[in-house]
Amino acid sequence: MTKGKLDWQMDEHQNGKAPLSLQNVHVSYATRRGKVQAVRNVTLDLHAGESLALIGESGSGKTTLGLAIVRLLPETAQISPGVILYRRDGREVDILKLDRNEMREFRWRDCAMVFQAALNAFNPVLKIWAQAWDTAKAHGWHDKEAVRRRLVELLEFVQLDPKRVIDAYPHELSGGMRQRVLLALSLLLNPQVLILDEPTTALDIITQRTIIKLLRKLKEDQGFTMIFISHDLAIAAELADRVATMYAGRIVELGASEDIFYRPRHPYTLGLIRAVPTVTGGFEQLFSIPGSPPDLIDLPSGCKFHPRCAFATDRCKLEEPELEEVGPGHTAACWHWRAVEEELQRNPLHRGVLSVLQAISFNAEEEAVS
Amino acid sequence: MSTSSTSAMAPESQGRIRSDVSTVKGLRRVADNFYVRRVAKALFTVWVVSTIIFFLIRLLPGNPIEQYIARLIETQGMDYENARMQAAALFAIDLDAPLWKQYLDYLLNLLRGNLGVSITSPGTTVTSIIARFLPWTIFSVGIGLILSFTVGILLGLMMAYRREGLLDHILTIFASVVSSIPNYLIGILLVVWLGVQWKVLPIAQMRGTLSPGVTPSFTFAFLYDALFHAFLPIVTYVLTTVGTWMLSMKGSTIGTLGEDFVTVARARGLKDWRITTAYVGRNAALPLFTQLTIAIGFVVGGSFLIETIFQYQGIGYVLSGAIAARDYPVMQGVFLIITMSVIFANLLADFLYGWLDPRIKVG
Ligand SMILES: Nc1ncnc2c1ncn2[C@@H]1O[C@H](COP(=O)(O)OP(=O)(O)OP(=O)(O)O)[C@@H](O)[C@H]1O
Ligand code: SF4
Ligand SMILES: [Mg+2]
Repeated sequence: MTKGKLDWQMDEHQNGKAPLSLQNVHVSYATRRGKVQAVRNVTLDLHAGESLALIGESGSGKTTLGLAIVRLLPETAQISPGVILYRRDGREVDILKLDRNEMREFRWRDCAMVFQAALNAFNPVLKIWAQAWDTAKAHGWHDKEAVRRRLVELLEFVQLDPKRVIDAYPHELSGGMRQRVLLALSLLLNPQVLILDEPTTALDIITQRTIIKLLRKLKEDQGFTMIFISHDLAIAAELADRVATMYAGRIVELGASEDIFYRPRHPYTLGLIRAVPTVTGGFEQLFSIPGSPPDLIDLPSGCKFHPRCAFATDRCKLEEPELEEVGPGHTAACWHWRAVEEELQRNPLHRGVLSVLQAISFNAEEEAVS
Repeated sequence: MSTSSTSAMAPESQGRIRSDVSTVKGLRRVADNFYVRRVAKALFTVWVVSTIIFFLIRLLPGNPIEQYIARLIETQGMDYENARMQAAALFAIDLDAPLWKQYLDYLLNLLRGNLGVSITSPGTTVTSIIARFLPWTIFSVGIGLILSFTVGILLGLMMAYRREGLLDHILTIFASVVSSIPNYLIGILLVVWLGVQWKVLPIAQMRGTLSPGVTPSFTFAFLYDALFHAFLPIVTYVLTTVGTWMLSMKGSTIGTLGEDFVTVARARGLKDWRITTAYVGRNAALPLFTQLTIAIGFVVGGSFLIETIFQYQGIGYVLSGAIAARDYPVMQGVFLIITMSVIFANLLADFLYGWLDPRIKVG
């Protein structure tokens, strides 16, 4: 239906190079108590047309990483060392070296970020149209008619009635509607990369489903490149091609969605999957990772997960593991990933967990077909 | 109404009932309208204030009418009847009528703009006195408030953007000091320093509202002269209020800067200037409009002292003269007009606020 109607940017000009490459990125916040090391040593390629899920507990640095890419961190934050390369139409720039105005132009046009809890995302005193027009003008698009047409198309795409929404003030729209308007607005300039930070948190189940369906359409029909931040594994399983698990500011496991959910090799990922509550299962199957995330100012030695890890040995307390290949296109940062593999053979993932993840994907496919 | 009786009715009467219902709905919609509600509120307040003034003057012990009668008898040797008649004429009131009739007459007179006649300059109606002096107060207070609001908001915005910087510290100290000095003290200090000690301003020539020979007209010379004479009162109004605007705006801006929509506006790649004005500035200034309504009252009330200090012939100057001479009809009229102009200014600020903040009309 909507397919082909919008002139989506296709990524033919990349010559196989990733539109976004993070190399050795560190982010810290200066606080009274000391330096909060929110993101450490993140190296990551985002491929054209893929959707990558960032998962991890609260405070693991997911939002910080997203904000670093569009450089919207608070003044107390510092990105260094690190390189963030962005490529479009054969050009390559280091985002961290862009000047103020270049950065401004990069935002939304090249990379749009939809924020966590975006209920308050709109200026309360301007109508939706005015805010879309502001956005277009800021990027040198002055054809009012064309902007309006584009906005109408996008609002229809997110299943809103453009007539009702375009001249409404933000407070006249419900939270779910606002979230969809923001999603539509994020596509206005046809960005190459879309970062979605918890796009469904704080919404009711029905609205969550609608938004997930829309994102699925974006991914499957339009081949959008997305980074998708969530701590809901079911949603990640449903939308992501690849999954990156973050712990204490680092990516500790990265691989295809299938590999991560069926063949996790990092004890933390395994813990996250086992902690997914099953609808069918009783309480006895509920598992949670013992302990709590580490203090990011005063990090533990060695592997940052060792105080909570069932597989930990003395080596883990002394040396921090780097990401290493554990399968094709699948890396994990754990000294004992083979022990995790053996443990999974002895003690397979509970069918309940997998069926929940599967059931969700299945339902979504059915809905997508109908 | 029970449903059974409605359903038993003939179709045409049902139709009439429906149209009645829609008229009621239409009326309710008018009554729910933001502007209608505010105007109604303002009119109600004017009525309450004029009623209070009526009863204050008549019912309190030692009321001015009785005092005036006593004074006439004492100083001019009039007999009680004549003195009473003259008092009644002055206040435009029939003293023999029952209270409710007096009250109605008073209200009707008010509606007609009849506020009685001055005691000290017989033959001059209070209305004409007000018409002559009020415009000057509106002129000076209005310019003073608009200036201080604008300057305060711009400085406050700047302070929030440069917070903890040198400029912010200097301006914060300035604002705190200036807003804690009473208005009359600032007025006196201006006269003493600028006029007497340093002699930078020709204080004596600046007295009054216009120089001799200048008459109101749409010329530059007139405007210049009017501003020349209003200069010191305006500076005083600005100095006494600007600090509060600066500090409020700074706080409000810091709050607004932390709002999600500002971050999202940055993420959308808007230009800094657009974000500062339409996203941060406008939202941060909104709550200040509520304070503006309070400030108008304070400044108009304060004009009483300021105009006396600078010999600026506005309504406050008239009031202080009337109080000194116990010219009750004038006092009553001036009180009425001051409260009414405050109410009117509030109404204006409300409308402005409703126009600036789309969320208001729903609430
Ligand atoms: N402005 C800040 N100043 C200091 N520390 C901060 C700041 N913002 C975030 N942090 C810290 O950085 C760490 C990472 O925060 P971040 O918001 O990126 O986590 P997250 O993974 O997005 O969590 P959530 O799932 O709760 O959104 C946290 O420990 C947090 O306390
Ligand atoms: S390195 Fe050691 S502590 Fe860290 S996750 Fe692996 S087994 Fe656990
Ligand atoms: Mg977050």
